[in-house]
Amino acid sequence: MNSMNKIIDYLKETYEIKSVKSPMDMQFHFETEKKLVHSILGDLKSKGFKQLSLITAVDWIEENEFQLTYILFNWDNGIHAILNTRLDRDNPKFTTILPIFPGAEYYERDVHEFFGIEFKGNEKSFKPLFLEMWDELPPLRKDFDPQAFSDKTFPKMEYTTQFLTDVGGVNNEGS
Amino acid sequence: MVLNDKDMRSAWEKVENYFQGSSIWMKWYCTGCGAIELPPTLTSRFDMERLGMGPMATPRQADILLITGYLSFKTLRRVIYSYEQMQEPKYIVAFGSCTVNGGIYYDSYSVMNRLDFYLPVDLYIAGCMPRPEAILNGFKELKSMIKAGKAEGYKKYKENYEWYRKNQIHSLKEVYVKDEFHE
Repeated sequence: MNSMNKIIDYLKETYEIKSVKSPMDMQFHFETEKKLVHSILGDLKSKGFKQLSLITAVDWIEENEFQLTYILFNWDNGIHAILNTRLDRDNPKFTTILPIFPGAEYYERDVHEFFGIEFKGNEKSFKPLFLEMWDELPPLRKDFDPQAFSDKTFPKMEYTTQFLTDVGGVNNEGS
Repeated sequence: MVLNDKDMRSAWEKVENYFQGSSIWMKWYCTGCGAIELPPTLTSRFDMERLGMGPMATPRQADILLITGYLSFKTLRRVIYSYEQMQEPKYIVAFGSCTVNGGIYYDSYSVMNRLDFYLPVDLYIAGCMPRPEAILNGFKELKSMIKAGKAEGYKKYKENYEWYRKNQIHSLKEVYVKDEFHE
């Protein structure tokens, strides 16, 4: 707990970070400007947060923003650091973190495929990963309609038998 | 396809079908959660080998393609490839409710809803998940179907190849497997 407060104080002194919270023991998250992401990630890596556990995104469609989330883990004291940043939803572009964490290659490819966020400097992130030959909206955006897409693409099973829906006296009144 | 009850097979085919039905080798295409029901079916508690069934390593040497669960764009392309590599006679057993009507993935953006649109299914084992007893019961049914000469999915696939191909193209756009790790 003590070492976590130390790293939070250090981050608050050095960078402009906001809404620092600790939802669980040994875990804290904070939000920052997108300009500062690379320097904070590099700094945290040199302070022992050597493992990049995940990069993911959240689509805040009402605020017209994407939230990018980086989860780091420190194997020396078991602390998770979660860094959030916001991107403009109309022009979702960001710079890669490959020089800091080479393992980010597949995470960025995954985020590009499912949210359409482009990472400059990571050429491989533009290749398809799971969805081969996909030409619709990226499927995890909130304005993508999975039911309509599924109806259009995949034929459904048709049932000829009529099943009773009101068995068990649900519609019986006064009896 | 035999539509009436009269047995149209020659004597040689009857003998052939009897032996095919007595010893079947399976290729498990374990994409979904159904794979977890197969180790207990295979090992000491339920022991499917006493009934003359066993796992096989490659599709070219297997008689049955057992598809356990959901298939996405990527896996459906690969399962069509595997099926076309298999030698005749070949049978497909579809396992779990995902292969029947999509199951809980009925509105997913990448999971197909109905397997018999793309490949000829000889037998469905419904359930989410089917227990090992249901699997053994399903295979007993399949064995009696093979011995009676009624499991003819591969002949249907050859006869209606255009129709199956049209459906595959409709959903997948192109049945072509790109493997970037061997480029």
